Amino acid sequence: MNGWTGQILRVNLTAKTYKKETFSEEFARKWIGGRGFAVKILYDELAPGIDPLGPENKFIVALGPIAGIPAPNTGKAVVAGKSPSTGGYGDGNLGTRVAEQLRKAGYDALIVEGKAAGPTMLVIQDDKVEFLPADAVWGKGTYETNDWIYAAYGKAAGVLNIGQAGENLVRYAVVRSLEGRAGGRTGMGAVMGSKLLKAIVVKGTKPIPQADAAGMKKVGMDDLREVHRIDKEAGWSIQSTNGVLAWCNEVAALPVRNFRKTHHPDAWKCDGERLNNARIATYGCPNCTMRCGITIHDEEGRESELDYENVGLLGPNLEIFDLPAIGSLNYLCDDYGIDTMSGGCVLSFYADAIDRGAAPGGYKFGDPAASKLLLGQIARREGEIGNLLAEGSMRAAHKFGHGSIDYAMQVKGLEVAAYNCKFIPGMALAFGVSPIGAHHKESWVITFELKQSVRESYGPEKAQKVIDLQRIRGGLFEYIVSCRFPWIEVGWSLENYPKYFKLVSGLDWTLDDFWTISDRIYSMIKLFWLREYPGADRRMDYPPAVWFDPANVDTDGPIAGKHLEYDKYDGLLQHYYDLRGYDRRGIPTKATLERLGVAEEGRAAEKFGKLT
Amino acid sequence: MRITVKLIGPFIQLFGFGERELDVPEGTTADDLIALVSIDKSRPKIVTRNGRAVVPGETLAAGDRVVISPIYSGG
Repeated sequence: MNGWTGQILRVNLTAKTYKKETFSEEFARKWIGGRGFAVKILYDELAPGIDPLGPENKFIVALGPIAGIPAPNTGKAVVAGKSPSTGGYGDGNLGTRVAEQLRKAGYDALIVEGKAAGPTMLVIQDDKVEFLPADAVWGKGTYETNDWIYAAYGKAAGVLNIGQAGENLVRYAVVRSLEGRAGGRTGMGAVMGSKLLKAIVVKGTKPIPQADAAGMKKVGMDDLREVHRIDKEAGWSIQSTNGVLAWCNEVAALPVRNFRKTHHPDAWKCDGERLNNARIATYGCPNCTMRCGITIHDEEGRESELDYENVGLLGPNLEIFDLPAIGSLNYLCDDYGIDTMSGGCVLSFYADAIDRGAAPGGYKFGDPAASKLLLGQIARREGEIGNLLAEGSMRAAHKFGHGSIDYAMQVKGLEVAAYNCKFIPGMALAFGVSPIGAHHKESWVITFELKQSVRESYGPEKAQKVIDLQRIRGGLFEYIVSCRFPWIEVGWSLENYPKYFKLVSGLDWTLDDFWTISDRIYSMIKLFWLREYPGADRRMDYPPAVWFDPANVDTDGPIAGKHLEYDKYDGLLQHYYDLRGYDRRGIPTKATLERLGVAEEGRAAEKFGKLT
Repeated sequence: MRITVKLIGPFIQLFGFGERELDVPEGTTADDLIALVSIDKSRPKIVTRNGRAVVPGETLAAGDRVVISPIYSGG
């Protein structure tokens, strides 16, 4: 089957068994790969209500038809499972050599089931699968674990591993790969940890089946060079993603002091220009020619790779503006395997809760030393507060009470990314309707809001733009499994992706064909949530309450006195549901499911929640 | 009249300054200003005036802070 290896590797850690399973062309064309494979498999195989940290959950690594093939920027994999942070469908993507190596080993996906008897490293080398002890690195950070694996298998091996946070079931623990990449902020590191799975190592030697391998090789290599040329001309990677920090500060979208403020006079100290000036090295994922990772020396002299999300949330959000200090917090998150975004939001929530008398303790904003200690306590679930904050801001807020849930910066249990939507209705909607909890990867609509619309609008044009972006970012790039940066950051045409798809699969599809796949996958994720939360309604798609709070408005700057309004947001949400073909609860209607070819899956969900 | 122009991201390296105060004639528009600092009109960008996006032909006022940024897409 050109475009796919046609095989999934299923591993059971309890029984130490494995088997290769084939899938049909119909399955491949309907779900493509990555997020599509993951949600279909999890929906079919997980019983609703299972403990995401129990052996019944499954950990999936899923690739797509262009994953691992040299072309812009295909060195990425999707990791997925039922999320420990949200209780719904969870996934994430990360740059990793596993993308290429697992496909060369002959698999489009890996399903890990059960729970090992002791710390385990799963080693896959083509047809050979081994369950090796990982006691030597259990309790160690991701950097030391990575080195230990490289010493045995070489740097060309594909590696996924977890740190102490994953081992200790921190609900926002990530999976790590390479020297600076992380994914699965919905707690996929904790899913690995719950299975005592410390690491996965993959090496493959087989060719990846392609309709026109020679054509793909030429086009892929030419396009890698072209993306590099465009990036150099545009200058994007001079500051990479952190270029946006100064802009967010200017337009009042920066998270400052647990999102209480939207801009700060000291923000320039950690902006993209300062980050570029402090650069000591540049990192990128496999098959990438516009490398985004900028490393600096942190306070302890270690190399720490920074981007906007971790600078924004571990920096200004904690009222820390010193880049080496932010670098230290980022390094610790990476080494422990804590998601930097949720980590930053959990710390800021705790400081805010203390500040407002909702929680006991002496932790304050602007204290890097105390922040470092807290991250360690969280990773080890040490003491009452470390153990509680390891649960994430939503659960900590339920414990603290006193209305603190209103300023726990999360949606559905997943903390928001570094965009302060106090008065950005469309981006607030994007966080609200993100299918895995608040995440910027699905839809980033701020520029559109300010340039093509107006900030005050709650109109259908914003709901439509959120959907358009979801189809591309949360759809296409998550199931074809490729990095969105060439498209979003340097303008690489989307038309290139049907071209790549045709070269590998022989299928001549249009972008509209892909958008149907995107919508199908989003509907499937909704069905997954419906089974888990049958009584839930549209309020699950609301952003944090503090953004609606008149007492929380800016007192100066471009949005002084402004805040989101409930009635208007609810209207915007309804526009989104109407355009998507969802009912008033935000659930796809039967007609929508029929149109998208998932009526059968809908009927399975009806045992748990009503469809209209 | 005196205004402040701030460039964002790679525009700093590409156009040679980060932030600058300029004296411009009354009636200067945002488009005039972009030409004045030698930014190619065709280059994708978003221009804000005091934190809010400008509309084409919008006239500037004394004390304005104009920010010229490439189009970011949110990482």
